[in-house]
Amino acid sequence: MSVSKEELIKRLSDGVVNMEEEDVIEVVNEYLEAGYPAFDAIMEGLVDGMNRASQLYEEEEYFVTDVLLCSDAMYEGLSVLRPHLPASEAEKVKPKGIIGVVEGDTHDIGKNLVKIMLETAGFDMVDLGRDVPLQSFVDKAKEENASFVCMSTLMTTTMGGMKTVVELLREAGIREQVKVVIGGGPISKKYADTIGADGYSPNAVEAVKLVKNLLDIA
Amino acid sequence: MPKIFIKNKKEAIEYIPDRDLLQLLLENDIFVDNPCNGKGLCGKCKIRLLEGNLPAISATEERLLKKEEISSGIRLSCLVVPQEDITIEILQKERKHEILTKGYIPEFDFHPAISKEIYEIEKPTLENQKAFEDALCNALGIEELDWQLLQKNEVTYGQITGVFHGEELIGIEAGDTTDTLYGMAIDIGTTTVVAALVNMKTGEELATASIINPQKRYGLDVLTRITYGLENPKDAKEKLQHAIVNAINQMIGELCSKAKIDRNNIYEIVVAANCTMMHFLLGIDATSIGKSPYAPAFVKAKNISAMDIGIKAAAATRLYCLPSVSAYIGADIVAGAYVCQLHKKEGNHLFIDIGTNGEIVLSSDGRLLSCSCAAGPALEGMNISSGMRAAEGAIEDVKISDDGIELKVIGNLEPIGICGSGILAAVKELLRIGLVKKDGGFIKKEKLEESDYRYDMLQLDGIKREFVLKKSPGELLITQGDVRQVQLAKGAILSGFYALLKQANIQMNQLHQVMIAGQFGAHLPAESLVGIGILPQEVEDKLVYVGNSSKTGAYMALMSTEVKKEIEELAKQMGYMELGASEGYERLFTRCLLFSN
Repeated sequence: MSVSKEELIKRLSDGVVNMEEEDVIEVVNEYLEAGYPAFDAIMEGLVDGMNRASQLYEEEEYFVTDVLLCSDAMYEGLSVLRPHLPASEAEKVKPKGIIGVVEGDTHDIGKNLVKIMLETAGFDMVDLGRDVPLQSFVDKAKEENASFVCMSTLMTTTMGGMKTVVELLREAGIREQVKVVIGGGPISKKYADTIGADGYSPNAVEAVKLVKNLLDIA
Repeated sequence: MPKIFIKNKKEAIEYIPDRDLLQLLLENDIFVDNPCNGKGLCGKCKIRLLEGNLPAISATEERLLKKEEISSGIRLSCLVVPQEDITIEILQKERKHEILTKGYIPEFDFHPAISKEIYEIEKPTLENQKAFEDALCNALGIEELDWQLLQKNEVTYGQITGVFHGEELIGIEAGDTTDTLYGMAIDIGTTTVVAALVNMKTGEELATASIINPQKRYGLDVLTRITYGLENPKDAKEKLQHAIVNAINQMIGELCSKAKIDRNNIYEIVVAANCTMMHFLLGIDATSIGKSPYAPAFVKAKNISAMDIGIKAAAATRLYCLPSVSAYIGADIVAGAYVCQLHKKEGNHLFIDIGTNGEIVLSSDGRLLSCSCAAGPALEGMNISSGMRAAEGAIEDVKISDDGIELKVIGNLEPIGICGSGILAAVKELLRIGLVKKDGGFIKKEKLEESDYRYDMLQLDGIKREFVLKKSPGELLITQGDVRQVQLAKGAILSGFYALLKQANIQMNQLHQVMIAGQFGAHLPAESLVGIGILPQEVEDKLVYVGNSSKTGAYMALMSTEVKKEIEELAKQMGYMELGASEGYERLFTRCLLFSN
């Protein structure tokens, strides 16, 4: 008895929401064997599940770590599905963003979450990791022709680095081409305004809305 | 120039309209609570505008203030830059805090570094015009006298008392003063400073004093103060140092008048403090502590002249600063580990000081390994929507049953907020009665029958659920965000606990004892610590409370040169593990966030 495509896609979405990595892989394999298109499983299954998870996060039902576990399940499914995408889909150009924790700080859970949410929302994210030398944000943005830069820090002592990056972007002559968004424990709207960043987001869900807004993406 | 008038204060503040209101108030020594030091984050620097105008309310204020607060004229002082004459009301008072000054102390022998000895100095005569220095050298059996001793001390004959620091003569006093030999032991915490005046002849503690660390005007936590330094490179080091030195001088004055002694008879001061506070005390740059790779300027013990940093005692008073291990394992923890004699213990013992940073030291047969967990300020009542420090009016305990909610408030006053022990008790109760699930989320209100006693305790703010701790007027809530803050703090400490055990290859059931040190821990009953899962269930009957072991360590060092040596040795031997850099830490942390063991 074969299971319908819709049924499998729903199970993928649920698997992500319920943080069931193994279920997701199992369903993905079943889905591929049945010969259904990988693209729909990603968009309507995995990404849909992740969107539901972020909704739960926004409602405070899910916590940071829950969302991280959901994303583990999503990425596992993605890695199996990706090779099955038609070339046209795989090579589709998405808006690109640079993300990292600024120099001097090693706290990266929040950054990871923002990256996941942005990837789920269809952005191509280049993750520089944590304790990132400030110049690297600029160099990478240039190299990758990025449309936005995301920076985070948990510590007041390192937040000054964000201001430096804004200045370095200006010096490199690419300030106008990239939007700068910042976040993290000690960061506020007030601070973003002070250093001339384009936006501040108090959490990962807001970050997606913010970036879409700044880039005029519906 | 425009003026700021403050209700119930006579003098107005004249100002140049270029800075925010918080800065203007702090500069004029008007106290406003400001945990985040004016970053527009914590929402605690509230004032009420009574007359005049302030710029339009900002989006951040709208987010951080309640609607009824905004309509009654409340503003966040760090977010408004006044331009004209205004009249405001200050909402907070500096409240009385309870500060822990006592603790457990092991037996040890008194051999203070400071000692006194009596000598007879021969009076000169016309026939024998011997210099005072020569007469003194004769009596003491030394070659010559430091010129500064001659400069600072009167020339006096007959019976004199020599004051020694180890072998070195540091003072000369007329007559027999061997009975007046005093010292001080000080614990400088980020939040509180505790000092004890000690009779070094008998070891008796004559009086203690405690105050809130006056550096709090530069930020409540270590990082905010370091950031203050970054933002004010010109004079921050001096300002931070002056603040703490002035506080010490003030305490010396208070203690001396309590015990009716002369401050010139205080010969040694021993200080235990966290690594950052020690840097600030000595006026040493602490910037590097605030950034990865978190390497401090110094960790070794320092033995200097107290006068050199502006401490007003005797001219010869020594200042001994206990050694640290790393940026986040300071002399306060080294002192605590020593007081608990961790280095001499057989079996497996864990020492834990709970605060904004939770420091943990594991001793396995005397081998010491430490780590520091960034618990965040939630446990001290900060970052919590109705949070406050443990002061009068703070809820310190909560019991919930079908009869309702029972609150215990410090000073038996009307509750105005909730402190760390209160928030922990509340979350523990919410877990126990099932309003909060193991994953930290509130249950859905639909799941409760209307007749359920818990039904009215849960309310909705849009889609967000919150617990009504105290009904209006003066409503106090515990929000989902508050529970998350507690969860983060608990996850940080518990994961440090497990990471240390794993590193030392020790199982939970092999632990003999868990020692709880510090101001905050002393207020946390085992049922809260274990009920919330800051510590694992298995250790519930192994908890021992050791009190302010930092100050006790300073006291022991003051009373014994041998102790000083042993503490310095202990600091060298203690290993340190950086949690963030350890394998699989993020996973461990995630598991530790769950409210179950």
